[in-house]
Amino acid sequence: MNRIMTNTIVYFVLILVVITCLFPVAWMFSSSLKSQSEVFTNMSLVPEHAKWSNYIAAWTKANFGTYFFNSIIYTVFGVLGVVFIASLAAYAFARLQFPLKNVLFLLLISTLLIPLPGAFVPLYVLLQKLRLLDTRLGLILCYINGGLAFAIFLLRSFFQQLPKELEEAAMMDGASRFSIYWRIAMPLARPALATIVIFNALNIWNEFLLALVMLQDKAKMPIQRGLMVFQGTHITDYPLLMAGITIATVPVVAVYLLMQKHIIKGITAGALKG
Amino acid sequence: MHNRSRISNLLFILPALAMFCVFSVYPFVKTFQLSAFQWDGVSKSMQFVGLNNYKDVLFNNPNFWYSMGAAGYITLLALIIQNALALLLAVLVDRGVKAQNFFRTTFFLPPVLSFIVVALVWKWIYDPNYGILNFGLTGLGMIQFQGFGWLSEAKTALTGVAVVHMWKGFGWGFIILLAGLQGIPRELYESASIDGASVWQQFKRITVPLMIPTFVVVSILTILGSMQIFDLIYGMTRGGPAGLTHVPITRIYEYMNNGEFGYATTMAVVFGLVLLIVSLVQINVSRRASQKI
Amino acid sequence: MSKLTRGNSKFAISGLVVFSILLAVTSAILTSCTSKEKQKSTDVIIWHWMTDREDVFNELAKRYEKQTGIVVKFETFAPSDAYRDKIRAATQGNLLPDVFSPLGDDRELAAYVKAGHIANLTKEMESGWKDRFFEKPLAYSSFFSGNQWDVEPGIYGVPIDVTSMQIYYNKGLFKEAGLDPENPPKTWPEFIEAGRKLRAAGIQPFVSGFGEGWLAGAFVSSYEWNLLGKQGVIDTIRGKLPYTDPRWVRLLGLLGEMREAGMFASGVATMVNKDAERLFATGRAAMAWNGSWGVNVYHSMNPKLNYGIMLPPRLPDAKYPLKIWGGGASSLNVNAESPNKDKAIAFLEWLTDDEQQAFLAQETRNIPANKRCCTALSPVLREFANNLDITQDRLPITEDWKVLSVKFTGMQSIVADYKTPEQVAKEIESEKKRVASAR
Repeated sequence: MNRIMTNTIVYFVLILVVITCLFPVAWMFSSSLKSQSEVFTNMSLVPEHAKWSNYIAAWTKANFGTYFFNSIIYTVFGVLGVVFIASLAAYAFARLQFPLKNVLFLLLISTLLIPLPGAFVPLYVLLQKLRLLDTRLGLILCYINGGLAFAIFLLRSFFQQLPKELEEAAMMDGASRFSIYWRIAMPLARPALATIVIFNALNIWNEFLLALVMLQDKAKMPIQRGLMVFQGTHITDYPLLMAGITIATVPVVAVYLLMQKHIIKGITAGALKG
Repeated sequence: MHNRSRISNLLFILPALAMFCVFSVYPFVKTFQLSAFQWDGVSKSMQFVGLNNYKDVLFNNPNFWYSMGAAGYITLLALIIQNALALLLAVLVDRGVKAQNFFRTTFFLPPVLSFIVVALVWKWIYDPNYGILNFGLTGLGMIQFQGFGWLSEAKTALTGVAVVHMWKGFGWGFIILLAGLQGIPRELYESASIDGASVWQQFKRITVPLMIPTFVVVSILTILGSMQIFDLIYGMTRGGPAGLTHVPITRIYEYMNNGEFGYATTMAVVFGLVLLIVSLVQINVSRRASQKI
Repeated sequence: MSKLTRGNSKFAISGLVVFSILLAVTSAILTSCTSKEKQKSTDVIIWHWMTDREDVFNELAKRYEKQTGIVVKFETFAPSDAYRDKIRAATQGNLLPDVFSPLGDDRELAAYVKAGHIANLTKEMESGWKDRFFEKPLAYSSFFSGNQWDVEPGIYGVPIDVTSMQIYYNKGLFKEAGLDPENPPKTWPEFIEAGRKLRAAGIQPFVSGFGEGWLAGAFVSSYEWNLLGKQGVIDTIRGKLPYTDPRWVRLLGLLGEMREAGMFASGVATMVNKDAERLFATGRAAMAWNGSWGVNVYHSMNPKLNYGIMLPPRLPDAKYPLKIWGGGASSLNVNAESPNKDKAIAFLEWLTDDEQQAFLAQETRNIPANKRCCTALSPVLREFANNLDITQDRLPITEDWKVLSVKFTGMQSIVADYKTPEQVAKEIESEKKRVASAR
């Protein structure tokens, strides 16, 4: 008897939290389908008529199409940059010999441990000197650099755990170090690479502060920045804003639902190791 | 031949090293250099001011320390309420409910959303006249909340933001704590219950001591994440009403925007030191606590 | 084994997707690069923030090209704080366009001039160009001898339009409350009384975007000149007159009086101006403190709105004339280091000539900086223009932004009934002392 009661309470609490998690997202989607006047008067989750045209207006008139496209550019190039630059370096740290190897690795790890808040200020000065302010390249480089330390850390320990026999066999066949890295180590590193891809993609897609500081041209802004620009100029146009937010969120949620096992595994592994 | 291969190995690490030097090392060093100068971002030269910025930040800028307190308030709420909730949920789910995956997936959905998205959606929920929160509250009979501006009233603004921060953040703690709980071998609990220990005693004697490292990780992540909050504040209140929801990063951003680059980096350095000290204290305290147990 | 192959195909597909995205993206970037080359044939590049004037500017550029063959390109960056950041970002490395504006306060303009980014136009202006402008907007684009920042005296900008701020009032709502729509309040007690009558009639008396702190500051500034006079205002900035002086407490308290009379629409303390404009345009508030740009905004929101404007009602016992916030303008500056400087100046002279200014005024419903063009204006705008001579004088010094920030948020606190005027006065004064000691 006692057990049934406790079980019911447990499930009740859990379901309550689930509703709290999901309701704002559902509300966001529901508001995006209402008309300008309905959004202020109809308080139910279900709109009277689903106004899908809000999405077309958001994509074209409100420029969310441009912002979305920019986010894709930043995410794709940022992730590719992290994957290639970090894997090269991680492989070197794991398998190759070169001068100052341990010192450099320690330096790299120190950036993970020491917090530097307000780093955007000197980064702004740097990009200004390099004439990379308000350019896509400048922002992408910042994003790549942001993801390097953790990716190198993760990949290095992964590469270290790979069995050496495959690589030694290839070396005896006369393969260059680069082709060993590219043809043997990288394919085997897919699980770790997947984690890095997902994490950096999520972080770059959701990033706001650097995009705020480094970009001023609306045509280059990613979708998080675009949302704030829209909100600043069309404060009461909630349906369009909610449609824009949904456009920003759908890819994230889709990737999350497809890859959640990966994501959760990655976090727990990383956190427990730390 | 050895030497040649060793140095050509450097090519592997060259791109990462180059990026690191330019985008990490240079800004780190530049922060300290800038903090000793005064620069408006426009002039071609900077003015050296020595330690003046530091003196002002440490002794003459109550607004900055107030913003530190505001971030501290949010962090405290997160440490206590958010993590307690995460622990409770992790314990409940760990007990072996059905559909564990479903709960894990939904609880981790808020962390996956961006801060701006969360800020804007919750700002709409909090809207004084058309938001669903006040609609629900007045519907339940609490008519004093009709037209109540959660984010524009002095007493509720900061807490309102803190609630959203916790809503978004508890999923992180939940996942990590759940993984920690699932790492505890079941046999320990089984043998303890055979010995007659109650559920609460098992929790106190087995779970808590073994979970201390996980608690430390969650606490440090919470502290570092909550103290450096920015996007949420920017999206919901921009530091208002009347500057009550300003946090250190928004203040640094404000000073930079008003042409005080040197001073802004000084604030960043001081803030970084505060974070470092807090993290070290946290690790020390938990090390002592685990030794006691 | 099957898991491996499934994983393989997943990655193969995603690899293909990534590659095709890469291809699409690189081609997009390449095509945008070629459009930059087209711009090299432009003679004068102008960066501005005035989104509502984008089409008019482009039309004027086309006309100029037809007349003279010189190609002028206007580029818009919005919102205005993004524009301001963009300009600041471009200061290092010679990236500034031929014509732009720092869009900041006097301190920023001075910094730009001293850094050599902005051309001194005094010589060009003195040869007759300056005579066409209202005195005030020209003054706001100039620096005078003895100014706080040691900038060489001269005219540094070209005003395009002028703004000032007054109180708009809805004539229909006034009549409903029993007030005379042709005779708005002229003194402060009358103003408060009108507010009470409107509130009693169930109408929200007063709205403004005080969530944007400077608007509250602009409203109170009219009374600062009324009560303290020009010297009093200067003395305060110089630190000779403390903010804790009873007259300052009274000035801050004016907002408290309005609040106690029930004059504020709900949420004014955190309202942005766009919302305030919408409230007035839809007849949900009887009075609105707004600028001359409001004419254009209200027209787009509700062309049938029946309204008039009135000056801020003066304090009956005050010794000095009431002066309204305004006289400043949207103005453009010329890049001192630009190779196209002369062409830029020539274009700006054409742009501010009678025909073009009249066209601008007509299309955008703003007061032109050229004083000869006011016949093209609507009656309300003409009234704004006529009141330009009672806008506040350009001062040689301005208050520090940190003190102003405390002042404005303090005013918001008074409106929201969170702090008393005495408290706020103390806070402003202590911030003032703190800033002075930091120097």
